[in-house]
Amino acid sequence: MDNSKIAHHISENFNKELEDIRNKVLTMGGLVEEQIEQAVKALTTGNMELAELVIKQDNEVDDFEMEIDAECTQIIALRQPAAFDLRLLLVVLRVINELERIGDLAERIAKMAIYLSNNSEGRTDQYHELKHMAGLVKDMLHSALDNFARMSIDGITDITRCDEQVDREYASIIRQLITQMMEDPRNITRSMDMLWTVRALERIGDHSRYICEHLIYMVKGEDVRHLTQAELEIKMKS
Amino acid sequence: MDNFNTATHISGRFDEELESIHTKIVAMGQLVEKQLSLSIQAFTTGNIDLAMQVLKQDDLIDEYESAIDAECVSTIALRQPTGIDLSLLVAVIKATGELEGIAAKAEGIADITIQLNQTKQVDSRG
Repeated sequence: MDNSKIAHHISENFNKELEDIRNKVLTMGGLVEEQIEQAVKALTTGNMELAELVIKQDNEVDDFEMEIDAECTQIIALRQPAAFDLRLLLVVLRVINELERIGDLAERIAKMAIYLSNNSEGRTDQYHELKHMAGLVKDMLHSALDNFARMSIDGITDITRCDEQVDREYASIIRQLITQMMEDPRNITRSMDMLWTVRALERIGDHSRYICEHLIYMVKGEDVRHLTQAELEIKMKS
Repeated sequence: MDNFNTATHISGRFDEELESIHTKIVAMGQLVEKQLSLSIQAFTTGNIDLAMQVLKQDDLIDEYESAIDAECVSTIALRQPTGIDLSLLVAVIKATGELEGIAAKAEGIADITIQLNQTKQVDSRG
């Protein structure tokens, strides 16, 4: 792991504190990735124990957020960092907020897994598409966290570009669900539960994209939020 | 009640910076409130023009967010505040994020308003 960006301070303690924060964010990120994985698995396999586990573990994600948050604020107050160090700490605050939201969305998917197992009569339409979409957003989050670990933004636009694919797949599944609801009103309950699930996955894609935007701010010091993919790619080339 | 504790710092410039951030976040909050009520009004009355107006104004919110965040970061870097001042600035950064999120939801309501009413028009014609 490349430590050159955080291990250059005269104060060994400061180096250690930053390193500690980075490791905690990565642990939290790992937990959130696992939450998504398990929530989707619980839904597609109808495993209720797994769904309950995801719902229970959301507290751990929340605890991580509070703990890292407090540590960051304390370091800013004690070390009075500037430039990259300050941006790093502020970005950590934002990244853990995104991770906490993603954790909530994984919990939502786990809840939908429980509803679906109760009223979908074993139907599995769209599970294939759903799994594919889940794979995409998991990859996005994983790559974003990987870039955070390396404190690097090489190839970051490849990750954000993936969000466009996620949006397309989301729209396509929604169209299928609407068709099913129109075909037979008895499909409505199940289709709505499926709709909230794919909506949650689509939001996870958005939050992963936001993490990438925060990383660009950390490394380049430029605010790149609210840009389109095309605008972002032009900005990153300049 | 004023958490910004302006006029209590030895540096008058610091007071001014906090005051400026204070003014901006209040203005941003009011704009977000307005966006939300306009979007709900557009939705309930099926007013596409109003919905368009909400969409157009969303850029303004994004600009507020970027501007306030940048001011907070430079104030933290330059003034190196501790205690309540630091907590406040960090809280402002979080609050702008939440406000932007609320505004994005208002934008979503406006989007749906447009979709819904365009389909309706097509339906009534066909």
